[in-house]
Amino acid sequence: MPNPSDPKIKQDDDFELIQAINAGHTELFPELVSRYERKLYNFGMRMCRDVQDAEDMLQDTFLNVFRYLKDFRYETRFKNWLYRIATSTCLKKRRKSRFAPERELSLDEFLPREEAEIPVQTPAWASLPLDQLLNEELSSIIKESIQSLPENYRLVLVLRDIEGFSTAETAQVLGLTPENIKVRLHRARLFLREKLKDYFSHDA
Amino acid sequence: MTHDPSHTACLELFEKLSEYLDDELDEQICRQIEAHASTCVACRACLETLRQTVALCRAMRRTEASVPGAFSDRWKEYIRKMASEAMSPHKS
Repeated sequence: MPNPSDPKIKQDDDFELIQAINAGHTELFPELVSRYERKLYNFGMRMCRDVQDAEDMLQDTFLNVFRYLKDFRYETRFKNWLYRIATSTCLKKRRKSRFAPERELSLDEFLPREEAEIPVQTPAWASLPLDQLLNEELSSIIKESIQSLPENYRLVLVLRDIEGFSTAETAQVLGLTPENIKVRLHRARLFLREKLKDYFSHDA
Repeated sequence: MTHDPSHTACLELFEKLSEYLDDELDEQICRQIEAHASTCVACRACLETLRQTVALCRAMRRTEASVPGAFSDRWKEYIRKMASEAMSPHKS
């Protein structure tokens, strides 16, 4: 039985709802689904590439949550546990549906190779206000660029920069070390930056 | 200061940019990065473009789609049924 005075449990917004469900009020489970359905669907859309896979991921994730909720011991926040299940569902689905060899990104590929590639000033797009910059076209460019990231890097970027998990939480969700998360995140961001640089240089 | 890709200070800064932006470095290293970026145009450009990339990425949170209505209705009905079946006493 979890101890409600445990600080980790106190911080978990879902504690009372989960306790009620586990005490037999399973009719409250749809409320837990409602809390995370939209966020998880969008996570699925960023990870799975198509609507069908995102919907399947959502269903499979919540079915697993329903099945295993009674075993949840608050060793982490419920949200982190949920994303851990979602991530593993996504990875299984992707591996089942298509063979996509994973590419490793190296830091070297993002270093300027020639004198001409070294910037002589900060480009204008880097200092414009976001509201002025982020139109529909740029949103699709960013979405496509995120989709084109190798999966291991995309997962880290999506969890850290879009879902808003901390380095430690992302490490917990993915079962990796914080150092590993930092390395992957940096390379993923550099990859995205290259895509944006290309977009803005064509746009200029 | 001229940027040289093999320059140790440029390379060190390049490796740590994300940690710098995420406030995950010691203060002393942060000051070193800032001092270098203030004199190296190329590294400053690198830092600012990466900062904006992260900001744009974070702004994508605003563009969340709704769960498709037909799927959501069907799925929620299924969840409700599953939850109420789990409530009723089951005897095999």
